[in-house]
Amino acid sequence: MKRRSFIKTAIVASATGAVVTSGLIKPKTVMAASHEKDFTKAKSTEEVMEMMGASDAAESDMIKIKSPEIAENGAVVPVGITSEIEGTTEIVAVVSNNPIPYAARYTVGAKGKAAVKSRFKMAKTTDVVAIVKADDKYYMAKSNIKVTKGGCGG
Amino acid sequence: MAKSTIKLRTKEKKGLIQVKSLITHPMHTGLRRNKKGDKIPAHFINEVVVEANGEPVMTANWTGAISKNPFISFSYAGDKSDTIKLTWKDNTGKSDSLEKQVGKK
Repeated sequence: MKRRSFIKTAIVASATGAVVTSGLIKPKTVMAASHEKDFTKAKSTEEVMEMMGASDAAESDMIKIKSPEIAENGAVVPVGITSEIEGTTEIVAVVSNNPIPYAARYTVGAKGKAAVKSRFKMAKTTDVVAIVKADDKYYMAKSNIKVTKGGCGG
Repeated sequence: MAKSTIKLRTKEKKGLIQVKSLITHPMHTGLRRNKKGDKIPAHFINEVVVEANGEPVMTANWTGAISKNPFISFSYAGDKSDTIKLTWKDNTGKSDSLEKQVGKK
């Protein structure tokens, strides 16, 4: 009986896209995406942008992506994203050629400076796209990184 | 846990507080396989919240695309007397947090 209800709930959850927060059932795939709309399901940068409602994001040179041109090890690629656009509230990083392109989202608090730095994994040579939300408008910037050794999968 | 998973360094410079942090975490994507060919289940941090005096200054929502033992660095307009608190949560429900005063090691 338990198993039946588990399957049922799992199906319902995936069908409606609802987030399963019940302590009883925690299917891993649902958990993985629970913090967001299912951005991790998007297979390409375009899809991510569509889900964000940012398809018409304008390219801006006010966003700077600081990263190495060639990354020797794709498992650790330092990437810094700086937005000089006023009123920046959100920075989304997308690694185009990863199996799950949607990589990270930073929400900048009122006092925060719109500049973040983290280390990303990259499966292969890829574009890194930074999508910035400022005053309910979206802007984006792109940068290409050559990866000589991938970081996802063995 | 005997030792914190978080390393936190903060520095004040011209009214900006720079926050740098290293978190010890495997950050499995859920796509990799072990030697037997079984998938290693996804295990990654999906939320990092940094608060200054209880007010959130930066929230990061991460996925498996962030490297193992993640590093984060940013700055915000703050004061030397601020207390910084960093909290992370991962997709298996684990979490940890660390509180520190600006400039303290």
